Amino acid sequence: MSTEPDTAVTKTAVVNRSPLGRIQTDTNRLFSKCLFAFHSFGNLGELSENMRILSLNAELAAGRAGEKGNAVRALTQYTRELVARLNGVNRAMLNLKSVTYNQSASALRILHQLHLLNRALDDLRARKGQFATLALEKTAKSRADKLSSLLEDVQGMTQNVNKLSNEANEVSEVVSQAGSIATNIAIEASSAGNHEAEFDQVAQTMRGYVAQLHHMGDTAGSPIRDAGSVGANLQDLTRQNIKS
Amino acid sequence: MISQTIFQKPGHKWLAFGQDPNKPEKLIDTNQIVITAGDSAIILDPGGIEIFPPMLAALTDEIPIENVKHLFMSHQDPDIGSSLPLWRQVCNENVNIHLSWLWTSFVAHFDAEANITPIPDEGMTIQLSSNVTLQFIPAHYLHSSGNFSVYDPEARILWTGDIGAAMLPTRQRDSFYVEDFNSHVQYMEGFHRRWLGSTRARDAWIGQVSKLDIDILTPQHGLFFKGDDVKRFLDWLARLNIGSGIDSMGGNNDS
Repeated sequence: MSTEPDTAVTKTAVVNRSPLGRIQTDTNRLFSKCLFAFHSFGNLGELSENMRILSLNAELAAGRAGEKGNAVRALTQYTRELVARLNGVNRAMLNLKSVTYNQSASALRILHQLHLLNRALDDLRARKGQFATLALEKTAKSRADKLSSLLEDVQGMTQNVNKLSNEANEVSEVVSQAGSIATNIAIEASSAGNHEAEFDQVAQTMRGYVAQLHHMGDTAGSPIRDAGSVGANLQDLTRQNIKS
Repeated sequence: MISQTIFQKPGHKWLAFGQDPNKPEKLIDTNQIVITAGDSAIILDPGGIEIFPPMLAALTDEIPIENVKHLFMSHQDPDIGSSLPLWRQVCNENVNIHLSWLWTSFVAHFDAEANITPIPDEGMTIQLSSNVTLQFIPAHYLHSSGNFSVYDPEARILWTGDIGAAMLPTRQRDSFYVEDFNSHVQYMEGFHRRWLGSTRARDAWIGQVSKLDIDILTPQHGLFFKGDDVKRFLDWLARLNIGSGIDSMGGNNDS
């Protein structure tokens, strides 16, 4: 049973309650949730490949069963269509993960710069240098620009979580259809005579893959929902800071 | 952060910044130089990103930020110019950034949007004002493989980056200048033995700068050398056995 890597984030939240500190904390949380959601589907490619191999083996078994294997042969064709869908989902998720990680890296870099720009504003105000006025204006503008860039990254990350949610729904549909295929193969097995054990084994293996897919979706569900909520709050918080 | 004028003539000034009492101890102490000429200024080795806030604040005691027309980086190290992306935010859009051609694509890792003017290996000059010209003098392999010193013939000051650097305890930093050369050697000997690796490069650099009239030699770490201490430093460096890291590789250090 995996757990979400949230401990360090919680500690940060306790330590830093400045507006920028809260943005930092929520950005870390958002990234953590995204990370966990993507990680939930980390074995999707491998599972899809295993399902493809199972369908090939099932097709061979169906061939050996002659007429008693006709229905199973048809079911293996459906299985390969599901495999193609899973491969498509996996490609989309890998792409989303890459984009999200880039946005997270950019957000964290911007946050570091924002901390320094805030310190520069404090130092400029405290030091009251005779030429400080323009530097204050430029630093404040730079801070606002950085916050806008941060907002873009956060919006991008949040949108990617929504897209991930769509892909997870696609996985749920595959789960449902793969479950039906497993059931139908099991039914075919009961009337397959000498080939019953072989088909039954295929059905059981397919059920195992369905369970794994189901688990992936379940595991990802909570971080996806949380990420959506954290992302929305973070956008509001960042907008408020741009105005301030 | 402390600032001090180390040279001044009408319309021409060298300002040293450093020895920030509020600097976190884990950050190496750095000197930043600002040369002003008329309404133009250049920052030599503007420093690491963590010292940007106090450096900017201290700079605005002295000059308007819009006067900064050039940023110079002697080499690629983070304590030299990781503040670059923030300086570009507050300086004019068309600020000139000077750095060895060798490092332009490396520095892009901490500022991908910087438009850097590459310095060729043989160095170059820039005109800061109608009567102030700065020379970028090759100092390759001392310690960086693409490295430059800056000489101002009018002020007779040489900025040497890491050459002449000293790792001083905080209590020793009550002035920008070396007061007793012999007692100062202990703070720079280890650094130079380890950081500098090529005697050929060292000798070539000393050969170049020995021809210059230098009143003050300003490194990026530690204290400045003035008057006779300039020659004392160059003579000391010429005799120093460098490349000590080679000892740990089972070789000798006759580089």
